[in-house]
Amino acid sequence: NTSMCWEINVKDYVCTHDIEGCAGCWGSFQEMPASTFAQARAAEINAMLKAVTQKSSNSLVFQTLPRHMRRRAMSHNIKRLPRRLREIARKEAEKAVHQKKEHSKNKCRKARRRHVNLVVEFNRRQKKNIWLETHIWHAKRFHMVKKWGYCLGDRPTTKSYRACYRAMTKHCLLQDLSYYCCLELNGKEEELLKVLARMCSIDTGPTFAAVPCLSGRLQGSLVLYRADRYPEDVLGPITFIWKPKDGSGIPYETRQLWIWTHPSLKQDILTELKAVFQCSEPVETCSPEPIVTLLQEEKQTDVAMSVSKKRKREDHEGEKAVPVKKIIGDGTRVPLQSYCWTSQTTGVVISDLTMEILRYRLIGPLSHCVLTEALKTASVQTEMADAETELNNWWVENCKNSEKVSLHQRQEAIFELLQGISSPSEIAAGTILGLTVGDPRVNLPKKRSKAMPNPEKYQGRDLHRSWSCAQWKPLSNHTDDPDNEKVRQLLLEGVPVECAHSFIWDQTICKNVTENKIPEQDLNHMRGELLVPGSQLDLGPRESKIPILLVQQPGKVAGEDRPGWGSGWDIYLPKGWGMAFWIPFVYRGARVGGLQEGLKHSEYKRTPHVPNDFPDCPAGIQFAKELENILLEKFKRRPPAKRANYVKLGTLAPFLCPWGQLTKDWEVRNKTQEESVVTSSADSKSCATESQVPCDLKPGLMIEDSQGDMMEEMTKIQNLCKEDGAATSSGFFVLRSRKLLKQLSAWCRPTCGKGQRARPASKLGQKEMTEDALLPIFKCYPQVLVWVSLSLLRKGSPELHAMICIPTQEDYLQLNKDQLFCGPQEPKHSDIFKHKILKLKERKKNNRKALESGASDALEAKAVEEPKELILGLWPDPLPDVTSHCSRILLGFVTQGDFSLAAGCGEALGFVNLTGLLHMLSSQPADKKGLVLLRTPASLQYRFARLNIEV
Amino acid sequence: MVRFKHRYLLCEIVSEDPRCRQCIDERAVGAAAKEAVARTHGDYGLACCSISFTVKYLNAYTGIVLLRCRKDFYRLLWSALPFITYLENRNQRYSCFFNTLHVGGTIRTCQKFLVQYNRKQLLLLLHNCTSEEERQSIQKSLLSCCLKEVEEEQSQSGDEEDDCAETD
Repeated sequence: NTSMCWEINVKDYVCTHDIEGCAGCWGSFQEMPASTFAQARAAEINAMLKAVTQKSSNSLVFQTLPRHMRRRAMSHNIKRLPRRLREIARKEAEKAVHQKKEHSKNKCRKARRRHVNLVVEFNRRQKKNIWLETHIWHAKRFHMVKKWGYCLGDRPTTKSYRACYRAMTKHCLLQDLSYYCCLELNGKEEELLKVLARMCSIDTGPTFAAVPCLSGRLQGSLVLYRADRYPEDVLGPITFIWKPKDGSGIPYETRQLWIWTHPSLKQDILTELKAVFQCSEPVETCSPEPIVTLLQEEKQTDVAMSVSKKRKREDHEGEKAVPVKKIIGDGTRVPLQSYCWTSQTTGVVISDLTMEILRYRLIGPLSHCVLTEALKTASVQTEMADAETELNNWWVENCKNSEKVSLHQRQEAIFELLQGISSPSEIAAGTILGLTVGDPRVNLPKKRSKAMPNPEKYQGRDLHRSWSCAQWKPLSNHTDDPDNEKVRQLLLEGVPVECAHSFIWDQTICKNVTENKIPEQDLNHMRGELLVPGSQLDLGPRESKIPILLVQQPGKVAGEDRPGWGSGWDIYLPKGWGMAFWIPFVYRGARVGGLQEGLKHSEYKRTPHVPNDFPDCPAGIQFAKELENILLEKFKRRPPAKRANYVKLGTLAPFLCPWGQLTKDWEVRNKTQEESVVTSSADSKSCATESQVPCDLKPGLMIEDSQGDMMEEMTKIQNLCKEDGAATSSGFFVLRSRKLLKQLSAWCRPTCGKGQRARPASKLGQKEMTEDALLPIFKCYPQVLVWVSLSLLRKGSPELHAMICIPTQEDYLQLNKDQLFCGPQEPKHSDIFKHKILKLKERKKNNRKALESGASDALEAKAVEEPKELILGLWPDPLPDVTSHCSRILLGFVTQGDFSLAAGCGEALGFVNLTGLLHMLSSQPADKKGLVLLRTPASLQYRFARLNIEV
Repeated sequence: MVRFKHRYLLCEIVSEDPRCRQCIDERAVGAAAKEAVARTHGDYGLACCSISFTVKYLNAYTGIVLLRCRKDFYRLLWSALPFITYLENRNQRYSCFFNTLHVGGTIRTCQKFLVQYNRKQLLLLLHNCTSEEERQSIQKSLLSCCLKEVEEEQSQSGDEEDDCAETD
């Protein structure tokens, strides 16, 4: 601002002279001498001149010229400017040149676009971050992010937030999950189970040894821990599939187990597995991949050399040496690095199958329609198409065996039957169906269409496509159609174990299938040679057969509303076939989502998302740190006056949830409270009688049973805690024991007021919430977090890192009085650091001045004085007691929160401290159980929300 | 583009009493002007003039004042300025009057005018000076501001140091 500038200058001048003037001439009533008058004038002239000559706006020089003086090409030819402005224009032009990015053009366009160079460039670009097979497709349509060493689509560039939700609920949403990592364990069943049992606990749900999973019929999912460390040291959630036993009768056969993990968890899990199985030395022979990649590498180096010569090779060798596009598999894998380890003692082989098997996820009630329309099961083939090639030789071999043909036919029949169900959620969770299908590119429709269920084929069934009404139709109202009969049988019995068999487990077959894929180009060429243009292409025996695996993905299992929402199918493919399957799915009307859509899916399903919602596993901690950095950078980018002052808002940690401190503070709080409780135990007695006592006799018996179980469990855990008491005190962990969670979930529900709700709670056989029930929990789980879901009662949409707080008695009273009461307000806090920051700034200024004058020791002093940087609006690092910082006591934080399109109100997911939760529940009135307050970090308004624990 | 158009009145405060300079400050000048407008044009005039009325620049040394007013009503202000007879500050009253030098549409034109005007004044002073000592000091200051012009084009950073040197 120029006017400010010249004014200040003049004022400075005036001030300095005022003092002199008062002392000198003005004090005495004399005429002012001419010299002072002249000096004043001269000073003013200087100030004015400076102001006038300074450029006032931030526009370029030639833009300030009047219109009649403007000339063409003025911006880069300064000679077109009037002479007086040329100097300034030259400076500006120089600045602009520096800002421009230097574009490397070491080669001419023709050379750059040459195929060889294009491919080299293409391979170079995917070296740092692995590309999925659908990368190019995604990069054209998605905002790409680099995460976990991959290049992944984050969200579509089109407006599609709502459309993706609609696809999830009504049709089908497609996701590429090929970046998930597969670890294969090969070994004797006994050995595997014995060792793996150390890494998981029966408390958290079914383990590796669960009967339906072990037979290979269902996919299982669980949370892995470091060996013998339960309940601390979480490694992360996984899903696993056992390869079904093929030979019957042999009890000690070797089994194959796939463990699918998120890439951020892979390293931890892999190292732990290696340690547990005592594998150390790599095995080169067991996997044929390294050799292939080696060859590729060699070829590439060859090409790179030829390129570096900048001369096209004349002989035919050069033509052949065109590098292979590295879109298949993990192109970044170091060829010499091993990914296969064997154990000397047990003979278990662990291999890393990352990027070897592709995985697509279809979410939505019509996902099976998309599947059944896009895929056609392979036809039985008994003759080889070509004696020379290896194409389909495994399939021909297979088809010679009549047993296997019949198995294939049964699989085909079940796959056909899938059209008859109205939603994937009707089938048992995790059902596996193996299949061999033909090339899906052959029957690609000409236009993109929407796959719909076939109403004529299955007349009897209501084909509601939304989950809300298709649920749990009584089975009796089906007609006696034989197909319907079969569908019903499928729903009741599930897919038989034999049908889970697939050739995808066999690596040699997978390799064969990958290598013998007909290129897209050849296929199009054949299409062009058809006699009737546009007719169906029949490849006959040359059509590839691809083994795939279909796995049902359970939707919303916990909770009462929207059961089965978000269920769908996962499809596992051998590598190399990514785009061949992707396009047919898209052409059948599946909408494609990215990482954001995946996050929303898990949010609406109210399941924890990997790795956001695992604050106790290393990947989760890492993720939280990264997120904090991103948010902090974003915060710092705004000017201090234009950003939220979190100190004033009473938000201690807006970017990172301080779980450790929260749990510690609650532990301290609990201890002090206990001491006070001991003195006044009468209060707690009355509290205990308040909660309902079940009147029936039978439930009472059950209660005793469960109590006994509970106590047993408690003692077990107590022992565990004693064993490594030191570790328990150091860190927090997330409660995953299903029994305790069920208990808590029952306690969270309002026990009276709504009659129908009170009954089931007592029938479940839960204990009452009494002092002696709580005490062991307090003792065993001093620093524990519980995963909760919250839904807001009225207005408000929670955000990331919103605070979950305990309401006070007055809040309940006010809520009772006024039904439209939104929630209390947090009083404004005072910013105690503002003063400090200002002081620091001043000191810095002084230091700089001192520095200019040449005092070097001032610099040293400064360096000593300022160890940490204070940021205006953020609380500096050692936080005070987080629980009692605000007017309402803090219970936990939200990790995912948004307006839920599925529920129609604000919904949040997060963690609360177990101790705090129990304290809150025991003091709440019966009809207000589970009511909490939510406050977003940048707001003072608390809002009421209902807390639920869904098991 | 649409903007509010203003008029800037460049005035000189002329006073017999040298002490008057002490009481020249933004508030005193603004109050005096408003009071004069109220006296001559009544409430309506005052209201019209006080829309976006400010004292934009003020130099107590030379008694130069820059007043801003909306273009529609600057005549009211202009006609009221001669009626100011005194400035009051800290319960002290000094008689003075306002001499309007220039009416401009932008601050920039006023600045340009002020440069010209001050130069003229200095030359006049040089003509009328009585003693040799005075003549030399005036010449010195005149040269300083003329030299500055050349220097400024060469380097802008040097200005501040020169300013300091001059004041000392």
